[in-house]
Amino acid sequence: MTVTIIVISVILILTGIFFFLGAAVGLLRFPDFYARMHAAGKGDTLSSLLVILGFAVYQLHDFHSLSHDWPTLLVILKLLAVVLFIFLTSPTATSALMDAGWEDNVKPIIAEGRSNHLEDDCDDA
Amino acid sequence: MNPKLYASIAVIITGLVLLYGISDFPTFGDPRSPANSGVEGGAPSTSLYYINESYGATKVPNLVTSVLADYRGYDTMFETVVVFAAGMAIFAILRCFGRDDEAVITAPTKSSIDGDHNRIIVGTTCRLAVPVVQIFALYVVAHGHHSPGGGFQGGVMLGASFILIALAGNLNDALGRFSERSYMTLASLGIIIYAGFGVLPQVLGKNFLDFGVLEKFFLTDGPEMARSHSMLGVEIGVALTVMSIMFAIFANLSSRGTLKGGL
Amino acid sequence: MILSFDIIILVFLIVAAIIALNVKDLLSSAMIFGIYGFLICLLWAEMGAVDVAFTEATVGAGVSTVLFIATILNTRRRSSD
Repeated sequence: MTVTIIVISVILILTGIFFFLGAAVGLLRFPDFYARMHAAGKGDTLSSLLVILGFAVYQLHDFHSLSHDWPTLLVILKLLAVVLFIFLTSPTATSALMDAGWEDNVKPIIAEGRSNHLEDDCDDA
Repeated sequence: MNPKLYASIAVIITGLVLLYGISDFPTFGDPRSPANSGVEGGAPSTSLYYINESYGATKVPNLVTSVLADYRGYDTMFETVVVFAAGMAIFAILRCFGRDDEAVITAPTKSSIDGDHNRIIVGTTCRLAVPVVQIFALYVVAHGHHSPGGGFQGGVMLGASFILIALAGNLNDALGRFSERSYMTLASLGIIIYAGFGVLPQVLGKNFLDFGVLEKFFLTDGPEMARSHSMLGVEIGVALTVMSIMFAIFANLSSRGTLKGGL
Repeated sequence: MILSFDIIILVFLIVAAIIALNVKDLLSSAMIFGIYGFLICLLWAEMGAVDVAFTEATVGAGVSTVLFIATILNTRRRSSD
């Protein structure tokens, strides 16, 4: 039981770190501002979720009875609250940065022969 | 020649001298280090005195809160006064009444969060986040006896929640909730609460900020709980002042003192 | 206190400080100063001074960055230094 829980938490944390690596590589390698923000925003949010969920699962590894181990449950609740707030605020921050870039006339890189649909969306707004 | 070169040489020499000074430091977390020794009454070290005695004398588990709000009450009071004075200084320099400044950055014409298409995501998230931030700030203020936190941290978080409203919408949205009249009143009220907790023991014939005699006011059994409750009152005063001054500084800085438009 | 953790944070602190001093764009400098404040908060929390770390997280990394940006947007954005 204990070993299973620790293995699950380690798998979650390692997956999170892998997505962090992906976000960092994307931030460095992608060509324009919007693609970079895409990598940073999505990778960051998902990997934070996975790492903190891993911590929350790890807290369960010596959980025996509810009456005795309720402080552990409290720690898990706090970690889940952190997850919730990262999920609320991190995509919003990405969206606000994208908006600021668009208002600052940062042009996205678009392949030849394709049209930029964002342009006609934003003109009438 | 290059002035940065001379500056770097001076910085490197100072850094080397400081690094040399580190070699005489006591070990990390040593309660008997020289800086803590030499308290009167024969106690071997100030830190040990606080660690051993402060819970019995104040019934506050968090050492930092009891030291800040009771043992070093004067210090914290004048820190609050310094924050208040900083806010007043910025108010005196920046605030301009009745003059329409041309260079003010104007906010978008659709002033409300809901009406502005571009800000609907940010506005909604901030609307969800602000109550939670404020409740957590109140928890930090009220629970400073048992966990990290206290008046300064909670006050800054409360002020930051109003700054968040101002950043997500515009300054008018925040000023509608927390007007200039109310933040000036609350900033002064915080100082008055702190000083009042100091004067109250004087009325009862003890020293300034000697909370122990307030047990009759709080109907507690013994001076220890009176100290604990007085610390809570003092923290609330600090939180009120810090919250109001943080928001006042932001409102004046972001709108060049006109309180119109904002960022 | 974990020495390796300390050293990592201190190295990042020095890097953040040098970048914040050298950047010409004051807006970037203010953001990097926020990173500096957050790293110092981490260092203090790791050394056990949780109250100080909490104050630094709220004041240094939170509100003071906002105040810097509010000031920069109302003055000049480029540093002449």
